[in-house]
Amino acid sequence: MTQPAPASPVFWRFNAEVFRLIGIRCRKCGHISYPRTKICHECGSLDLQEYQLSRTGTIHTFCINWAPPPNFEPPIIPVAVDLDGGGRYLGIMTEASTPEEVKVGAKVEMVLRKMITDRGLNVYGYKFRLVEDQQ
Amino acid sequence: MRGKVAVIGVGMIRFGELFEQSLENMIQEAYLSCLNNIDKGLDPKEIKAAWFGQWSGGFIGQGAQSGQSLATYVGLLGIPVTRLENACPTGGDTFRHACLGVASGAYDIVLALGAEKMRDKPSAESLGGAGGGGGSETGNHPAWMMGQGGPAIQAMHATRQMYELGYTMEDFARVAVKNHHNGTFCPYAHYRFEVTIEQVLNSYTVCWPLHLLDCCPQTDGAAAAIVCRADLAKNFTDKPVYVLGSNIGTDHSQLWDRKSFVEQLSTVRAAKGAFEMAGIQPKDVDFAELHDCFTNTELMNIEDVGFARKGEAARMLKDGEFDMHGRLPVNPSGGLKAHGHPIAATGLGQVYEVVTQLREEADKRQVKLKNGIGVQHNVGGPAFGVSAFTILSRSP
Repeated sequence: MTQPAPASPVFWRFNAEVFRLIGIRCRKCGHISYPRTKICHECGSLDLQEYQLSRTGTIHTFCINWAPPPNFEPPIIPVAVDLDGGGRYLGIMTEASTPEEVKVGAKVEMVLRKMITDRGLNVYGYKFRLVEDQQ
Repeated sequence: MRGKVAVIGVGMIRFGELFEQSLENMIQEAYLSCLNNIDKGLDPKEIKAAWFGQWSGGFIGQGAQSGQSLATYVGLLGIPVTRLENACPTGGDTFRHACLGVASGAYDIVLALGAEKMRDKPSAESLGGAGGGGGSETGNHPAWMMGQGGPAIQAMHATRQMYELGYTMEDFARVAVKNHHNGTFCPYAHYRFEVTIEQVLNSYTVCWPLHLLDCCPQTDGAAAAIVCRADLAKNFTDKPVYVLGSNIGTDHSQLWDRKSFVEQLSTVRAAKGAFEMAGIQPKDVDFAELHDCFTNTELMNIEDVGFARKGEAARMLKDGEFDMHGRLPVNPSGGLKAHGHPIAATGLGQVYEVVTQLREEADKRQVKLKNGIGVQHNVGGPAFGVSAFTILSRSP
């Protein structure tokens, strides 16, 4: 499989993005993205600034994956979340006891969780859970 | 490009689980079928360059493929051959490069051939092994949907189509019903059986809201086309098919950068550019081979290429407009859904179907022609950010 091993450079390289949620915001077109880049992926501008992504947001879309990649127990619920303040984050739901609880438009927050155990090493990152107060 | 390039021959092998055939066997069979398809004959020595579409080799551990692989297998040692990989549009883009080779004036006659050996490995190690549609460096990071692959990405589109456009799982299933029906008439199709809406909805859930029968199979296959200078075409065939436009469209390689989950801008851009090259409108097209890797994707494609306004494809499908004998037949070959999806062969297989239909040689699946124009479309890669679109015509 081509997924990176837990000790691979990818994990070190994207540390700031994954754990501190540092992204970039384009001063020209406003596009918010991650990992940090020197050329805006949306408009090509070089006028970018670091941007602190929010830990909360709203589910834009999701699916219930019964055939997930290795090291994941099915089902997993991938979500695309529109973060409060801007930017969209792709992640996986946690603490949803039934998939029926997950809906487009539901409010979610990031929590630090073990993502996978691979070759004896744990990989941590943020997952999303439903916030109790859905107002 | 319009007026400069014509297809003089197309070739294909039956798609399927071809455990008895090697990559070389499939390539040779598709190539010979292509040569035999040229009714006035062609001396292979007239082929002065080739483009070789091949996706899987290096990705799923079947050995690297390069230009010399094709040159060796088809006995054209010495000519320039470029191996091309551009995700699911590899076949469409291989055809486009062959056309550009002729349109540039560099060559008079060239070969485009795509071949894929996917079934030697279990599904999870085949398409999924290369990360499926999510396989860019960041797409493989576990914090960002590691290796989710095509089904999960398209299922997320399907969920949003249901939310935003009011589409239902029955609407998606109708695509499978139509394309499996068409596939029963195609001798080259991987699947040649009918399915019902109930069978689709009761099949195993792969990625809710998509079921097993909403997904195209992984397939072995090969397909080819020989293209030449338009003004020379009638020396080789009485039925040349002319290339009016062939284009690639791109969008973000990361899903989170994309604005919409109900529209793929890669497709929108590929089609718009090709229609501009051709100087025609979507309404001028008689029939289409669109990239239905998943049922919901076909509905999205119909809208994205300009055959329907966003949100209207499901109703038009239900009304029979895209049936083989409807107003605008979509995927008369059976599409990826029934015909199969051997990645680099897929686009060239669609070219085969469009050329065969335009020559009115499609037997029981022959569609009715008005303007004599058909199109081919692929979309795929990380975040489905690359798309191919080709417009072919009976007249220059």
